[in-house]
Amino acid sequence: MTVPLPAPHRPRQEGDHPVPPHPAEHAGEATPGGTFTPLRDQLAGAAAAFASGGLLPKLVDDVERAMAVELEIFPVCHHSPASALAMARRLRAKQPKVIYLELCEDLRPVLEELRNCKLPVALQAFATQLDGFPPGSGPLSVIAPITEASAEYQAISYALDTPGVELVLVDRSSDHVFQWEQARADARSGQTDVGIEIGDLRPRFAELEEHLLHHGKVRHWSEWWDQYVEQPLSGADYDTYRQVMVLIGSLFRRLRGPGGPPTDDEDRERYMWTRMREHLRDTGTDPADCLYVCGAFHAASPVMDEPYEITGRTATRWLYGLIPSSHSAIERQFGLAGGSVSIAAATWAKALRRGGVKPYRLSTKPPAATPAAPAKIKAAKAAATGGPANADMLTGFLASPPALDELDEAELLGWCVDLVRLARRNGYLASTADAIAVYETSILLAGMRNRVRPTPYDFQDAAVTCIEKDVVPGRRDVRRLCEILLGGDRFGQVGYHSLPPLAQDVFDRLEPLGLDLSKRTIHRALLDLNADPQLVPVSHLLWLLRRLLPADAARPIMGSRRLGERSHQESWDLALGRHQREIIELGYEAVTVEQVLEQRLRKSVSAPDATAARALEAVEDAILFLGGGRLAQELGARAVELLAAERTVDEAPDVLRRIRRLLAFYRSNEPALPEWCERFVTAGYAHYCTLLPTAFVADDTGLRQVAAMLGFLFTMENLALSLGCDRAQLELAVKQSHPESPAKVALLWAAQTQLGILDRQELRRRCDELLAHPLVVPTFPQYLSGFVQALDPVPSLGPFVVEVISKAFARLPDDVLLPWLPKLITTLRDQAGELLPVLIREAGRVFPGRLATLDQWTPPWHGQGTGPGAGAGSGAGLGAGPGALVGASGQGGAGSAGAHGVGGPAGAMAGVGGAMAAADGAMAGVGMAVPVPGPVNGLLAAHPATADAVAALLGAEAPASGWEQGLRGPGGGGDGTGLTIGAVNAESAGGAGAGGSPGSGAAAALVAEHPRTAEAVADLVGA
Amino acid sequence: MLRAPAETKYADELDYLESIDTGPKPFTWRLSPRMVRIFVLGSERSDGLDREIAQKWFGDRSFVERSIVTLASDRGLLLIGDPGTGKSWLAELLAAAICRNSTLVVQGTAGTTEDHIKYSWNVSMVIAKGQSRQSMIPSPIMTAMEQGMIGRFEELTRSTSDVQDALISILSEKYVSIPELDDDNIVFAQPGFSIIATANSRDRGVNDLSSALKRRFNFVRIPVVTNKKSEAEIVRFRTAELLRRHQIELELPPTLLDILLQSFADLRAASDAAAGDDDRLESALSTAEQIGVLEDAILHSHFFGDRTLRAQTLAGSLVGSLARRSPEDLAILNKYWHGVVEPRGREGGDWGDFLDGGRQAISTLS
Repeated sequence: MTVPLPAPHRPRQEGDHPVPPHPAEHAGEATPGGTFTPLRDQLAGAAAAFASGGLLPKLVDDVERAMAVELEIFPVCHHSPASALAMARRLRAKQPKVIYLELCEDLRPVLEELRNCKLPVALQAFATQLDGFPPGSGPLSVIAPITEASAEYQAISYALDTPGVELVLVDRSSDHVFQWEQARADARSGQTDVGIEIGDLRPRFAELEEHLLHHGKVRHWSEWWDQYVEQPLSGADYDTYRQVMVLIGSLFRRLRGPGGPPTDDEDRERYMWTRMREHLRDTGTDPADCLYVCGAFHAASPVMDEPYEITGRTATRWLYGLIPSSHSAIERQFGLAGGSVSIAAATWAKALRRGGVKPYRLSTKPPAATPAAPAKIKAAKAAATGGPANADMLTGFLASPPALDELDEAELLGWCVDLVRLARRNGYLASTADAIAVYETSILLAGMRNRVRPTPYDFQDAAVTCIEKDVVPGRRDVRRLCEILLGGDRFGQVGYHSLPPLAQDVFDRLEPLGLDLSKRTIHRALLDLNADPQLVPVSHLLWLLRRLLPADAARPIMGSRRLGERSHQESWDLALGRHQREIIELGYEAVTVEQVLEQRLRKSVSAPDATAARALEAVEDAILFLGGGRLAQELGARAVELLAAERTVDEAPDVLRRIRRLLAFYRSNEPALPEWCERFVTAGYAHYCTLLPTAFVADDTGLRQVAAMLGFLFTMENLALSLGCDRAQLELAVKQSHPESPAKVALLWAAQTQLGILDRQELRRRCDELLAHPLVVPTFPQYLSGFVQALDPVPSLGPFVVEVISKAFARLPDDVLLPWLPKLITTLRDQAGELLPVLIREAGRVFPGRLATLDQWTPPWHGQGTGPGAGAGSGAGLGAGPGALVGASGQGGAGSAGAHGVGGPAGAMAGVGGAMAAADGAMAGVGMAVPVPGPVNGLLAAHPATADAVAALLGAEAPASGWEQGLRGPGGGGDGTGLTIGAVNAESAGGAGAGGSPGSGAAAALVAEHPRTAEAVADLVGA
Repeated sequence: MLRAPAETKYADELDYLESIDTGPKPFTWRLSPRMVRIFVLGSERSDGLDREIAQKWFGDRSFVERSIVTLASDRGLLLIGDPGTGKSWLAELLAAAICRNSTLVVQGTAGTTEDHIKYSWNVSMVIAKGQSRQSMIPSPIMTAMEQGMIGRFEELTRSTSDVQDALISILSEKYVSIPELDDDNIVFAQPGFSIIATANSRDRGVNDLSSALKRRFNFVRIPVVTNKKSEAEIVRFRTAELLRRHQIELELPPTLLDILLQSFADLRAASDAAAGDDDRLESALSTAEQIGVLEDAILHSHFFGDRTLRAQTLAGSLVGSLARRSPEDLAILNKYWHGVVEPRGREGGDWGDFLDGGRQAISTLS
């Protein structure tokens, strides 16, 4: 869930009105007559003259009240170098013993880890296991970015590095942040992280901000702040700083209305003051030794004395850590103008150089436990100088014009020259003349905007005016170049010792690569797993990270990880430095990446929307990344449950593909199938048998789904029957199916053929009748689609499908055939792996291999009782049909066919596949009609009789002149070779085989007789 | 005068500003840069002026500031943007404020020649008296040079490259030589001379500027106003001016203005989302276009209607103005009317009348 924090930069909406005075204000109001009386009188006079209401004197009251508090309040604004400078100066002067900081109190332990980090980083509180929040609202995340140019970092560094100084975080805990947001009706959603910042100081309604920007003649808030507060305050003394900040905080606080969304500012203040009172009481610290660092908005709190009962936290388990951040991320999260944080950082660095202020920086080692003597001396010295004087510094500040910076000529010149150089590097035709123009324009612009020294914003505008033309030549425009020049985006980094155990473990395990993965560049890692076996675990981890992290964190260039495969060499592009945050967030889930994956897999299969296909995917992942074992068994068992409970067959193709792959894997790697696999097959057999009749008639069940169901039923049949299923169930299911759409009818006919209910002749007769019927002809392509889909469940139908397609090409009128062709091509493209090998093999077998033989060639189905008229037309039509198809599907197919020396219709038909496969890059049966060089030739030539016998048994025709001649032939012999390999391939790769293909028993006998040959063949064809 | 130039129209404001201006003025400028800004963008209470100066150009303040400082620098100013974004109006205002003369204008067309930028000759005078400074006709740009004023070049990218390149020497050397004359043959630019050119970003690629010329201009890109509030202000301001010019007294109902702004916003969103030019209206849907639509509707109601602006009339003039290509634009408008206006029109009110009027106009044009 995402609950926003109280208004970081959320201007109020229209309709907001200034608040009526708080009831408590009258009671707690500072009495007139103090230091600020003259100013109050002056402002009251002004208020009486120009406005109604007593807002102005109340601002002075607020300042006076804040100044009068015994506990010294240090008001800050975020990303304000002036605040940071004032803080550094004040800490050195006062040396407080306790610092109270407006930051979630539960983040305190993480602060120590800042020592190991390169800023900007963000403190993060993260919760996924929720208790006490509405379900589904997680993960909850609170992010508090810390930059170096901030007062809070100065305070933290001072407190952590000075012995004897205590740092107390007093704001509500992360848990309370969400509790309070829950309680508020206007909780926004859709945000992933809640950002919190110390010193959020911005007008609380849109009109006020608009008004200030308009009259300040600036474009955005950061610029206003810089010009009207930051610059005048950068050299101011502490009292002026404090009073002005409280005044501005008070102004924004009072200019807000009851019409807007409720905020919890006052509750937060009560919370913080309660915590501080508790601490003072418990430790007995003198408030004079303390410093309370809070946003200027909270400095002038009217509720600081009110008691508050702090409620307990929920039982939600919060995890804490540091994540890297960047200037641009902070700007995005808090709605600041682009580049403003970078500009603040640059201003801070410059102020340090100029002002001679020594900032506090966290050392990498914690200080010794005992307080150091010099600190005592300094503290004593500070005590001598006393606290803030509380004199009225406001009147002078408000009455006199701000002391603006003088023109820093050298700095501006440097910017201009550097920018032109940068612009040239980025493709702009910029020259020294442009540098001069930018310089001049910056000064003119600043002059128009009432300042002597051009601000970075003026400089940016001037640069855009002078250098930006009508087009941006490169990736970055001038505005972006200025941002880069003025500091650019800075990325923080969390040091190794502050990383969670998981992240440390990941970097430790990747150590053998010898790369510095903490850098933000992309590293190329080369792993020769054969030569260097110790890299095998590294490769394993990389694959795991690939699975868990965003795609570009670890990207394999070479190598793959699939079931039953192993890479010899791998090459990776690693950008783990850029994805440090994601790795750290993995650390919130578990202690090792393996554990993270295990938990995620378990969660994915137990989710309410889990499906059998997803569970099978989880099993695959468990085998690939976690070695299978008991987890795979559990996930598999869950897959069985999910399958049995499913009422749709939408994912049947996915289920079929995955279970086939898993069965093949287990068969080749395990002595026996796991028990869940057997149960999955039997459950699937019964499940799909039950759903088959409905799926055949349901309109919302696609052809592919039904084909996949049939594929499951037929290809798993042997296994299912051996496990006790009953074939009668399938036969009944097929009998109960009465599809209406032509494509499904064709599929049903194919199923009936497979089951022996329908013989081939009858099927042929039905198709011929359809073709001969002028009223049905327009729907014939749909039948063809059904038959094409049937190639997967009923591969033995291959010759028939080729025959039907050939007939269709020959006899269908163009206006029916041509609109269907794109569909055929796209179907074959999508399912190239399953359908193409069968189709191409059969086409290669049926059509002549050489152009010369085409004249004498008659289709084998001629004279098989289809009638003389049909036969006479088919030859000519066949020539035209596939040719047209090749023409339609591009030159690739024809080209490849020609290159392989296969001409004629067969080549054209192969060309169809070639075109399809070339488009897909996944040509499964390239070798079909091509002589295969290498050991296969040698083997077949050495055992011609065996090869003949295998070919005969598998239904392929051996060349009449024998294998040797076929192999040595100039190209025609490829036909036979390819066929045999294709057949063997199909038989072995098909897993359960083509169920019931004739002669499989004899083949088994032959293989048993020649085991070594069979093994050699199997090895060569990659079975 | 049908349309007075800005310096005439706002003469009293300019006089007033000049009288109180104490700021430093570059070259021979009549107003300091800050006063120029006030003249263009209107005065605020915080400026402390005795009288109010009306806002005349609506848009981001920084565009105006950048334009003014460019004119105070060594370079020319090129205002670039879609048609109807107020480039020429801004140029006119700037010229009027800086030198009280916004009429030194060269209109760039395909037929613009170098003579239009430099000088030409009074042929009869040349025959009678020979070539001399008297028989020479200086171009507006040359006049601006001689008098240290702002010359304007409208639609720079419509003129051919050789004409454009004639500006290079004017902008860098700041003089024009007249080789036909034996003496007094160089016209030097006086301090205060600069050029404001405008270019239409839709004309990109017709006559691209050379790099040399680009270098001599600072580009200020004026975007289409998409902020509904500013747009309403612009339309109201310009329409009031038009009504004054036509001496028409007619109330502009705020609901109709809303309808007009909303329709343009919708059509702009549709244009941005369109895949190709055929799915996009030919019109740039600029603010000027809106003013045109409104003016058309007002005139129509005034002369042919009952002197009250009605939603039907507004719809008719919107369709009439935007449907430029017969099948494409009409198809887009038809789709818009059925997809977007119809649901709103079902509730009746002005949207209902707007729906009817639009339908009728589309069917008439189809």
